[in-house]
Amino acid sequence: MAPDPNRTAGGASGSGTTKEGKDDASAKKKVENEDLSDEDLALKQQLELYVERVQDPDPGLQKVALESMRQEIRTSTSSMTSVPKPLKFLRPHYGTLKAYYETMSESDLKKYLADILSVLALTMSAEGERESLKYRLLGSDGDIGSWGHEYVRNLAGEIAQEYAKRQSEEAPIDDLMELVQQIVAFHMKHNAEPEAVDLLMEVEDLDMLIEHVDKTNFKRTCLYLTSSARYLPGPDDLLVLDIAYMIYLKFEEYPNALQIALYLDNLQYVRQVFTSCDDLLRKKQFCYMLARHGITFELDEMVADDDEREVMQDIINNSKLSEGYLTLARDIEVMEPKSPEDIYKAHLLDGRASAGASVDSARQNLAATFVNAFVNAGFGQDKLMTVATDSASGGSSGNWLFKNKEHGKTSAAASLGMILLWDVDAGLSQIDKYFHINDTHVNVGALLGVGIVNCGIKNDCDPAMALLGDYTDKEDSSLRIGAIMGLGIAYAGSQNEQLRYKLAPILNDAKTSLDVVAFTAISLGLIYVGSCNEEVAQAIIFALMDRSEAELGEPLTRLLPLGLGLLYLGKQESVEATAEVSKTFHEKIRKYCDMTLLSCAYAGTGNVLKVQNLLGHCSQHLDKGETHQGPAVIGIAMVAMAEELGLEMAIRSLEHLLQYGEQNIRRAVPLALGLLCISNPKVNVMDTLSRLSHDTDSEVAMAAVISLGLIGAGTNNARIAGMLRNLSSYYYKDTSLLFCVRIAQGLVHLGKGLLTLNPYHSDRFLLSPTALAGLVTMLHACLDMKAIVLGKYHYVLYFLVLAMQPRMLLTVDESLKPLSVPVRVGQAVDVVGQAGRPKTITGFQTHSTPVLLAAGDRAELATEKYIPLSPILEGFVILKENPDYRED
Amino acid sequence: MGQGTPGGLNRGGLPGDRKQDGSGKKDKKFEPAAPPARVGRKQRKQKGPEAAARLPTVTPLTKCKLRLLKLERIKDYLLMEEEFVANQERLKPQEEKAEEDRSKVDDLRGSPMSVGNLEELIDENHAIVSSSVGPEYYVGILSFVDKDQLEPGCAILMHNKVLSVVGLLQDEVDPMVSVMKVEKAPLESYADIGGLDAQIQEIKEAVELPLTHPELYEDIGIKPPKGVILYGEPGTGKTLLAKAVANSTSATFLRVVGSELIQKYLGDGPKLVRELFRVADDLSPSIVFIDEIDAVGTKRYDAHSGGEREIQRTMLELLNQLDGFDSRGDVKVILATNRIESLDPALLRPGRIDRKIEFPLPDIKTRRRIFQIHTSRMTLADDVNLEEFVMTKDEFSGADIKAICTEAGLLALRERRMKVTHQDFKKAKDKVMFKKKEGVPEGLYM
Ligand SMILES: Nc1ncnc2c1ncn2[C@@H]1O[C@H](COP(=O)(O)OP(=O)(O)O)[C@@H](O)[C@H]1O
Ligand SMILES: [Mg+2]
Repeated sequence: MAPDPNRTAGGASGSGTTKEGKDDASAKKKVENEDLSDEDLALKQQLELYVERVQDPDPGLQKVALESMRQEIRTSTSSMTSVPKPLKFLRPHYGTLKAYYETMSESDLKKYLADILSVLALTMSAEGERESLKYRLLGSDGDIGSWGHEYVRNLAGEIAQEYAKRQSEEAPIDDLMELVQQIVAFHMKHNAEPEAVDLLMEVEDLDMLIEHVDKTNFKRTCLYLTSSARYLPGPDDLLVLDIAYMIYLKFEEYPNALQIALYLDNLQYVRQVFTSCDDLLRKKQFCYMLARHGITFELDEMVADDDEREVMQDIINNSKLSEGYLTLARDIEVMEPKSPEDIYKAHLLDGRASAGASVDSARQNLAATFVNAFVNAGFGQDKLMTVATDSASGGSSGNWLFKNKEHGKTSAAASLGMILLWDVDAGLSQIDKYFHINDTHVNVGALLGVGIVNCGIKNDCDPAMALLGDYTDKEDSSLRIGAIMGLGIAYAGSQNEQLRYKLAPILNDAKTSLDVVAFTAISLGLIYVGSCNEEVAQAIIFALMDRSEAELGEPLTRLLPLGLGLLYLGKQESVEATAEVSKTFHEKIRKYCDMTLLSCAYAGTGNVLKVQNLLGHCSQHLDKGETHQGPAVIGIAMVAMAEELGLEMAIRSLEHLLQYGEQNIRRAVPLALGLLCISNPKVNVMDTLSRLSHDTDSEVAMAAVISLGLIGAGTNNARIAGMLRNLSSYYYKDTSLLFCVRIAQGLVHLGKGLLTLNPYHSDRFLLSPTALAGLVTMLHACLDMKAIVLGKYHYVLYFLVLAMQPRMLLTVDESLKPLSVPVRVGQAVDVVGQAGRPKTITGFQTHSTPVLLAAGDRAELATEKYIPLSPILEGFVILKENPDYRED
Repeated sequence: MGQGTPGGLNRGGLPGDRKQDGSGKKDKKFEPAAPPARVGRKQRKQKGPEAAARLPTVTPLTKCKLRLLKLERIKDYLLMEEEFVANQERLKPQEEKAEEDRSKVDDLRGSPMSVGNLEELIDENHAIVSSSVGPEYYVGILSFVDKDQLEPGCAILMHNKVLSVVGLLQDEVDPMVSVMKVEKAPLESYADIGGLDAQIQEIKEAVELPLTHPELYEDIGIKPPKGVILYGEPGTGKTLLAKAVANSTSATFLRVVGSELIQKYLGDGPKLVRELFRVADDLSPSIVFIDEIDAVGTKRYDAHSGGEREIQRTMLELLNQLDGFDSRGDVKVILATNRIESLDPALLRPGRIDRKIEFPLPDIKTRRRIFQIHTSRMTLADDVNLEEFVMTKDEFSGADIKAICTEAGLLALRERRMKVTHQDFKKAKDKVMFKKKEGVPEGLYM
């Protein structure tokens, strides 16, 4: 442990002058008296007199002297840059007083003197002596604050040291804790919550905090606690969060408590929040929060009223997500469907691009399909897929559909699911027709489309299961893949047992082809994401062991270890047993599996040691064509994305990888950058990627192009759009790269700029596991772009749907109807540990809801008329009328 | 050859690694270079490796465990970077490779090179250049030149025969400014200052403390002062105090004299000021000390000559920089002048330099201290009674006292004495006072 911060803080303002003080003490000893002003001289003599009197045998005189000395010290106004005068003058006598103290007999006076010695020790005590503390403990136990802040700080630092020492000697600490109690009370009363928390962390007794927080300071305290948790090594971070949870609960700040419960992934706590709160409206807000996080949660007796429970369960099941999203779209007036050409904006380029547009039209049409799907995602209408059906129903349905070749039709059919995203009823009825077309590719797309429509939506009738269930055991492997992937997307995070019984056997059937097994593993990984489920893990492990050596070298095999990894997403140590097993795998896959497991298990933890481990793997030189460095690079991003600092520093590290790394690393770096800055186009990353998009290695360039799309996903960022447009003309002859450019263009305009792919939400505090799982799956597939995305498995791009969420603030009234109120939206400011009521946003503009929130934005209500039921203004927020509001 | 960094080299990874990918389609003889990712014609100077190397800022500023943890996190990452780079260097030394590339580039560039001016960019690979002597040429730009950094008007290196652009002179820092940086701390420390306790404390609070302990100000919730102005009679220790600050601080110390800011060509003065503050920001935390500010900071009145107007413009730029349009949190300014009354009030209005520190003539006690300081290293005869000088009612400044001591020493030296006597001091004092009153003998106009 580095030196205690209190200590440094305590020494801070004194230290500079202490040194200086010593200098002149020795240098101008002789001239000291002449040097002083008259008052100073008087004070000095006065104090010297007191010192003498203290040693007087007469206790009466002693008492008076001590009393006056104390008075002098207390009333002295200290300056920031120098030691208070009385202390300065008393310094030479510290030794004398200390010696005299030893000779005194036990009495109140002795304690009195101890008090003064304790204060004097503030500037005199040698480093590590902790005399201030020593005399404080011997002293009269008076009000600790009366000696000033500096004294308390110093004392806190000494306590921390003393505590560590006694802990190692196993000495009792009762007297220390007594003092801690006083100091914490003092700090909490004087707006110094961080100092109180720091001290309690040092003495490992955070519980004490709960008795000292009150209505005025609990928010700041908790903010400090939760921010610290990100940087504390385990298990301390959990402890800290526990305390914060308790405090929030105590002050009925339930939404924050719920956040922490979700962060800890502790359903027990989630339940507790629900049962502790007895306001139905607030509970509805909780439901919105659960829905955004994307976890499956059954309300049971927590809500007594059946009708209410149904309404709330609907919220959790995201049934109203589509409605809210469309409200936003209508308000911003972007309902008008867009065609891929609207996105390419080829007219802005000069000549040559449009000329060469017709090469390999199948691939171009496929690209257009994806662009169309991404851009119109969730709007329910577009210019390619839905229009055709209206004009000429039935027979010629899907003109566009048949402009795609073979497996291209799969993605085309599935894109309908994307367009009707979250709108289960309309989606199913529109996709239905594809089931009746006698073309396997289309049927596969239909299966996948059903899965996509249901992404993140839970429905009691389980339509996805009903429609897809039968296809998982079909003869045709592409049909099976469609159904399995669809189920994986629809039921991600649900831990649905029924599906496990259905899918797990596929894994261990030696006759199933590898691609089916791969997609089954991913789907199970998604469904059981972060569950550490033993049975699923076993099934995937067996599959990995059973497959032949040749199959292990296949590009799709990479999905198996990933499926295994997803089971442990963010679960840290729980992965260890499985990681042990992976050591026994065939060497072709062993390291790949190791890296994947490690990166998944520590995803979103910011664990520096794991980053180091992963970096270590990247610094080795490979010769046998191993492929594990790719996932290691992505792993760095997964682990480091937890907090801003790590994120920025990881970007720096990736820059180094780019400089030194070999091709397989350089290919993964853009993807890692894409994950780190997902939907958050940072200028420096944009520049790096733009540079790489011209790399001579075409796979590096492809990854960079896709990542440009990822960092700009759903932002409509004009600069990235311009870059991509130029790239499209630069690569007009290279169909593969052009395909990537198109995909990226589609991503940038994802949902016409209303969607985000960022798995972090709620003030970047919570990480949605399913969203991250979807992203990582897509990124791993991109590690072998040529074989997977550019091959016949392009539909893996649809895994992104798991991360899609509207980046909005939609305020609703008490009956959950949209309600437009003015809000200020601006750049979020880190206010942790700041005194007073600092501004939480800067550079804000006032809008009326619903509004879009960009990465790093924060909103606050600009009216007093309503009270938001959640302090985090993101997604759906219920507003309650403010009873105290007066119109003026 | 430090200045002409060809782009591409250190940015695009390892050029040696880039094998032409053998796909048939691209097998042309000449592959046009990728278009630079530029939006306008402007280069973005700040971006690039230096900007990327900046560490993220850490909040809160208050010294607390959270801050410690955050700083440790950054340190951890830096250590990992170090480890990684060291590892890589061991595996395949970058140096050699870079060396090889560099010599190749040097070959291409040829030597000697001529320096020219970029007049116009024609397309990605061609430009119109002019050299200082002759006409303008239409020439090619070699592929390894970082085109993002080229902008019309910048100084470039040209091949001496074919005149193609082979490099770019980056005038990152105006040499004028780099001279201002105080590399070697001056010898004067706080201990060499007699008296002036209040002034020392004030300058510490206003300049040093905000740099070392910004959290103290944040705790209270105020913005620390931007800077201070020291004013008072000549020779009262203003420059001395600034030197002491430079001596004690670990921050970058930039020192300018007001007159240096007045330049020969129009626009150079303001440019220098801008450059000065930019460098200060780059090297932050830093302290900018502008002595004799009255050279540029006098009251504005109708200027008669172009020169005066230029001086005023320089001051206006100074005002602008003090207002700190871009936040210059870690740059503190110290101004010093003898004539505060003649300064433009705009310079001193609150929000710019609102802390004024007066340097009065020394009082008796301070005088004593100053005498002590300056005589401490002299061998004095026993008969010397400094009190006599300390107690006189003449107006002495610190500089006068120093002059007296030096003068007395010289007198003794002249007579080859080893000790300085009281008589020497007396003579020295008269001499100094005489000179001070500009040759008017003492008592003549009493
Ligand atoms: N308070 C003082 N203590 C010690 N020396 C002083 C003091 N004031 C002035 N001096 C002496 O006078 C000299 C000139 O002072 P300086 O700071 O340059 O004056 P100005 O205020 O005009 O800038 C210094 O080099 C120093 O030796
Ligand atoms: Mg001067």
